[in-house]
Amino acid sequence: MRKCFAAAFLLSVFAMALTTFADVARPNPSKEAKVVMHSGLEIVPDAQAFEARLEIPQDMWKQMHAGLIEGPGNTTLAQRIARSSPRTVLAGTFLFLSFAFAGVWLARSKQRNQRIAAALALGVAIVGAGTIIASANAGPPGYLRWQGLPSALTEGRTTRGGVDIAIVPEGSTIKLIVPIKRVTRTPGEE
Amino acid sequence: MQRAAEINLSTWRESRRLVHVNANWFAAAFAGCAVFSAAFASWLPLQLSIVSLFLFAGPHNWFEFRYFLSRLPLRFGRSRPFFLIAFSGIGLLTTAYLALPLLYNLSFWPNGDWSIPLAIWNTVMLLWIAVLAQLRGKQKRTRYWSLAFPVAFLLVSLNWMGPQLFSLLIVYVHPLIALWFLDRHLRRIRPEWLTTYRRGLCILPVLLLGMFWQLNTPTPIADDNGLFWRITQHAGAELLPNVSSRVLVSVHVFLEMLHYGVWIAALTMIGGANRFWDVKSIPLARHERGFPRLIGTMLVGGVLAVVLLWVGFAVDYSATRDLYFSFAMAHVLAEAPFLMRML
Repeated sequence: MRKCFAAAFLLSVFAMALTTFADVARPNPSKEAKVVMHSGLEIVPDAQAFEARLEIPQDMWKQMHAGLIEGPGNTTLAQRIARSSPRTVLAGTFLFLSFAFAGVWLARSKQRNQRIAAALALGVAIVGAGTIIASANAGPPGYLRWQGLPSALTEGRTTRGGVDIAIVPEGSTIKLIVPIKRVTRTPGEE
Repeated sequence: MQRAAEINLSTWRESRRLVHVNANWFAAAFAGCAVFSAAFASWLPLQLSIVSLFLFAGPHNWFEFRYFLSRLPLRFGRSRPFFLIAFSGIGLLTTAYLALPLLYNLSFWPNGDWSIPLAIWNTVMLLWIAVLAQLRGKQKRTRYWSLAFPVAFLLVSLNWMGPQLFSLLIVYVHPLIALWFLDRHLRRIRPEWLTTYRRGLCILPVLLLGMFWQLNTPTPIADDNGLFWRITQHAGAELLPNVSSRVLVSVHVFLEMLHYGVWIAALTMIGGANRFWDVKSIPLARHERGFPRLIGTMLVGGVLAVVLLWVGFAVDYSATRDLYFSFAMAHVLAEAPFLMRML
C-alpha cells in the first residue's frame, strides 16, 4: 500500500511539474520573420544548368499561401497549445486531476486486475503527455544534415535536409541560410 | 421425469446448426453492407454524403428515438437521479450547443481564442457523462465505474489541448457508438450471434486501412462550391491538412452509412422491433399503467419532423444541413445515458 501511495505521490509531482513547466513563458518570437511552414530541401549541383532554379511543388505552394493568411490548419498541435495560456493551464490542471483521482483509485483498489487496469490507464496518460512534450524535440538537430554541404558541392553530390520557409518583410532576393557549425572531433574519431 | 439418455440429441444439434447458419448469414450481410458502403463512399464520397443525409438522417433519428422509448422504464424508481441528470443534461447541452455560434462572437475570450467556448462545452459534456457513469456504477456494484472521473479528466485535458480536434473526434466516434448498441442488443436478444458479430467487426479496420491506402493522394477533393466545402470542413479537412480530404470525407461517409444501417435496419429487424409502426410494441405504451396516447403522439410528431426535414432539404439543402447538424447533437448526447443503461 505504501508503494501505491508513493507511486501516486510521484505521479502527482510529475503532473504538477508538467503543469508548471507548460506555463513557463516562451521566448518572444521574432517579429521580423514569420515561419509559415517546415519542409525538406534538396541542393542539387548541376553541371549542365546556366541559371539557379528554385522548384516548389504546387501543393507546398498552396500550403505556403495558406500560411500567409493565418489558417488554423497550418499550425501544429503543440504550437496551438503553446500559444494559448488559459488552455494550457486548464489542460495541465485536468491532467493533474486525472492522475490524482486515478492514483487514489489505484491505492484503494484491492483486486489485482483492478490495479493492472489502473496502472495501464496511468501508463497511457503518462505516455500520451510525454509524447506531446517530446514531439517538439524529436530527432537530431537539423544542422547536422548540412555539415557535409561544402564537400558535397565540391564533389557534385546531392545534399538533403530540413528547411524553415520564412516570409520576411524586406529585401528583393530569395536568401538561403544554411547552418554550418564547427564540429570539434575527439582524437581518433572519424 | 425424462432421463438424460432419452433426450433426442438430433433436435438439439439441428437447432444449434440453424443458429450457426443464421449467425453466419447475419455476419455475411453485415460484412456485405460494410464492403458496399466502403466501396461506394470511396467512389463517390461527396455525392453519397448528400444523398445519404437526405434519405436517412431523419428516419434514423426517428428509429433511434423509438428505440430509446422502448428502453425507458415505466417508473424510474431508484434510477430517478440518473434519468433526471440525463434528461436535463441533454436539454441544457443541446441548448448551449445551439448558442455556440453566438458565444464565438463575444469579445471577452482571452487573446480572442474563440475555441474556448467549444472547450468549455466539451468539458461540461464529459463531466456530465462522468456523473452519469458514477450514478450507474452505484447500481452495478463494480468498482470499474469509479474510474469514470479519472478517464473523464484525462479526456477533458486532451480537449483543452485541442478543442476543435476533440470535437472532430466526436464526429468520427459517434457513428461507431451504434455498433456498441448493436453489440449490447445482440447480447440480450441473440446471444448466440454475438461471437460471430464481434468477429465480423474485424472487417472494419481492414476496410478503413484499405480506404486510407487507396485514397490518401496529394490531390484534394474538389470542394469548389459552398456545399462541398461544408462537407469537407465537417470531415476535418481544415484541421487535418496532412490527411487527404478525400480520405476524410470517404471515411466519414462510410461510418455514417454504418450508423444509419445499424439504427434503421439491424436494430429494427433483430429482436422484435420489426413491427415498428405498432405503438403497442413499446412497453411504455403496452403496459396497463402506461402512456399509449403520449407515446403515439410523440412518434407521429417524429414522423412529421422527418417529413419536414425532407421538405427542408428539398428547398435549401445547405441551410437545412447546417440546421440539422446543430439539432442532431441532442441524439448524440442521448446515446450516452441509454448506452450506460445497457452496460
